[in-house]
Amino acid sequence: MINNINFCKRCLYSEAHPLGLILDSEGICSGCRIHEEKDKLDWSERWDKLEKLVEPYRSISGEQYDCIVPVSGAQDSHFILHLIKNKLKLNPLLVTYNKYFNTPLGIKNLVNLRIKFDCDILYQNINPKSVRKITKSTLHQFGSIYWPILAGQTVFPVQTAVRYKVPLIIWGAHQGLEQVGMFSHEHEVEMTRRYRKDHDLMGYEADDLLSVFNTLSEEDIWQYRYPDDKDLNEIGVRGIYLGNYVRWDPKAQHELMIDEYDYKTASFRRTFDKYDFVDCFNYMDLHDLLKLYKQGYSKVTDHASREIRFGRITRDQGLTLVKNYEQKPPEYLDLFQKWLGINQKELQFIINQHRNLSFWKHQYPDKWVFNGLSSMNQGQKAEGVSKDLFLESSTLEDKIGKKYIVFGKGV
Amino acid sequence: MRLVLLKKRIIGTVIIKNGWAVQSFGYNRYLPLGKPECVVENLDRWGADEILILSIDRSSNRLGPDFSLLEKLASLQLETPLIYGGGISTIEEGVKVIGLGADRICVDSLLHDNFNIVRKLSERLGRQAIIGVMPVMANNGIIKWLNYRNKSSLPLKDGMLDNYTKTVSELLLIDFLNEGSKDGFNNKILEDFIDVDLSLILFGGLSDGPKIKKLLANKMVSAIAIGNFLNYKEHSIQNFKREYSRSNIRDSYYKERYSLLNDK
Amino acid sequence: MKRINVTIVNYNVGNYASLSYSLKALGFNVRVSSEHSALVDSDIVILPGVGAFSSAMQELERLDLVGSLKDLASNKHPIIGICLGMQLLTECSYEHQHTIGLGIIPGEFVSFENSRLHIGWNTLEGINSEKNIDSNKSYYFNHSYVYKGPSKYQICTTTHLEKFASIIRNENTIGLQFHPEKSQKSGKELLQKIINEACVA
Repeated sequence: MINNINFCKRCLYSEAHPLGLILDSEGICSGCRIHEEKDKLDWSERWDKLEKLVEPYRSISGEQYDCIVPVSGAQDSHFILHLIKNKLKLNPLLVTYNKYFNTPLGIKNLVNLRIKFDCDILYQNINPKSVRKITKSTLHQFGSIYWPILAGQTVFPVQTAVRYKVPLIIWGAHQGLEQVGMFSHEHEVEMTRRYRKDHDLMGYEADDLLSVFNTLSEEDIWQYRYPDDKDLNEIGVRGIYLGNYVRWDPKAQHELMIDEYDYKTASFRRTFDKYDFVDCFNYMDLHDLLKLYKQGYSKVTDHASREIRFGRITRDQGLTLVKNYEQKPPEYLDLFQKWLGINQKELQFIINQHRNLSFWKHQYPDKWVFNGLSSMNQGQKAEGVSKDLFLESSTLEDKIGKKYIVFGKGV
Repeated sequence: MRLVLLKKRIIGTVIIKNGWAVQSFGYNRYLPLGKPECVVENLDRWGADEILILSIDRSSNRLGPDFSLLEKLASLQLETPLIYGGGISTIEEGVKVIGLGADRICVDSLLHDNFNIVRKLSERLGRQAIIGVMPVMANNGIIKWLNYRNKSSLPLKDGMLDNYTKTVSELLLIDFLNEGSKDGFNNKILEDFIDVDLSLILFGGLSDGPKIKKLLANKMVSAIAIGNFLNYKEHSIQNFKREYSRSNIRDSYYKERYSLLNDK
Repeated sequence: MKRINVTIVNYNVGNYASLSYSLKALGFNVRVSSEHSALVDSDIVILPGVGAFSSAMQELERLDLVGSLKDLASNKHPIIGICLGMQLLTECSYEHQHTIGLGIIPGEFVSFENSRLHIGWNTLEGINSEKNIDSNKSYYFNHSYVYKGPSKYQICTTTHLEKFASIIRNENTIGLQFHPEKSQKSGKELLQKIINEACVA
């Protein structure tokens, strides 16, 4: 039983944050303190630094890509490309990893991205048998369905950088910095294998899965291996984050992309943000439910904390939104069950194993009582958050239907 | 003919607070980093000359050494010498830390509380296995040694550390005020340090730049320990070794196992 | 190809995890044991060790391993002593008090001049060389006592304030002053080479 969890006085995070969160003597968390830099740093000076940083990577002949840019049908990709093509005037090679849980809206946004920004793009598709095997194993053992996606998204750009000999990889924001203030913007933190293993992959790289699961063999996981240090050094591979040089504000950025590039958005049951994660049927659904089970809080808390820090909602409004959204039922479990080849009862049984008993009390069969972080967090009920805080222009199914879109020709 | 063949060491340092690897700033502000095992394993892969683990909240909380961390680390297949400090207050604890896989131990509080135990540990484990940790600051030509638990500081005078020379192998001098500040290490700490027949490891505000070259050239200095600054870029240890390749340090090493470029 | 069986002598002095893992990663079968039969059964025995010479000898005596190790050596069974393990293979040490060792390799251990220490990465120089030693590679040393003995038992030297033997050998018993299991790539490669050569002989 967790007795005394301390919460930030400003945002909604607690010391129980999985990335590690530190409260200072005034009760303000490291994430909020680093967020203060967004209004203190000289962003035009930082932009100049970025220009200088990318300069040596410009292909002189113009016949080679200047950088690798990981993209998807969501996640700030439009804005990232807007900065890279329009402002930095770099010539990127886009890479994207097939999640399998693709929404029609996400595919539409991805096509939109490729065409509007007129870019070359590479797709990585790992065979579905291996992906299902890994997902089944990690679901059972870790209560996670996202390992292959996180592993693929974070490694495919690095492998491409080595294979195509394009050393510079440009990412958007650094999750550790944005959420818990793991680094200052001024540290100019870059991509590291350590961070990926520690925080993206829960401490398990591809080969580590082989020692945990005897259901998996090398042929299932070799594609997720991080390139050797020797290869990285030979090519000079380097991953930078635009968020260190630009005042990163996902809501504002998405809205700019909606206006200028026709980025499409959708609403979710489990959060008030309508801009991010529209490319996946599971991220804000089963994956988010698992987060609530294991961590005692879910994505809506991340969204609320972010908007509190930007001053667009108050802390009480944030907490009210969280309590409103976090218990909403998922809507796409049946798609996942069909894909993985398990039935509803089996799925519920498995995921119940992963409820963190510090946050969940088992009352009787099928009845669990939640005493998660939002219940422990002090705050008053506060309404008044406009339904138009985030605007939706479509749905995940985008008139096509409730099904995972298979990557194929013409996508 | 090269006269000095023993290389100067670059020590990758991991500060641990509350079970988390953290970045430490001036001994009072902290930012999270992640799981200690991930950070340590990474330093091993990068080829640090030694890995130093300082568990900073053990003594103040009377928790003893972090044995469970050491057990976890023992299963990581590390190939790099490991130094552990934090919470060692008895002979049994010191011996157990070595028994769990550390090659050397650091003592800080014990130097103030019971020097006799340090002496006994030195006899049991060998003087080479013991490092004395001293958080220090320079003030008008005097070096002050901080006792971080009761926050008192002792001005050092020549001769004060003479009984250390038979007991510890090296002194780890921590510029605690400048810890975490880029290139912040105060040179005066080395310049004004009292005469003592012991090698010095320097830590606190060492990141990059010409200052480190000078420090490495000083014959009192056997090693440089770096903490926070190793966590911002890939291959930090290798980059560091490249920058100071003329300073008698071991070459950098880039691990190879499943090459994409040299497919066999 | 038959895998080489290594037995690490377990005498409660030090930690064997690193050594064990290194050896396994190199493709050897590894056992950690204090049983005489496990030592005899192996292709090669490794005697590790950290700490004080006299406590280590006491442990070896308590576990009845002194006789075992001497017998193994006289039967030409390959043995490698690492760091303190190397010291124990010799006749005696002057650490704190004069203590008798296993006497398998003639020579003794005395302190560095002026009670110096040798800590860090240093290189090897082959003498009496059957081995090709790459003097660009370095290995991790952590000791305060050095070997003094007839040069015919010295295979490699290392220099730190004075020149001393970093690898010694008598017939099939080898002593390594440094820690190959803590010397990353170069350590592993050298350990593999030494074990392979010792077991072929």
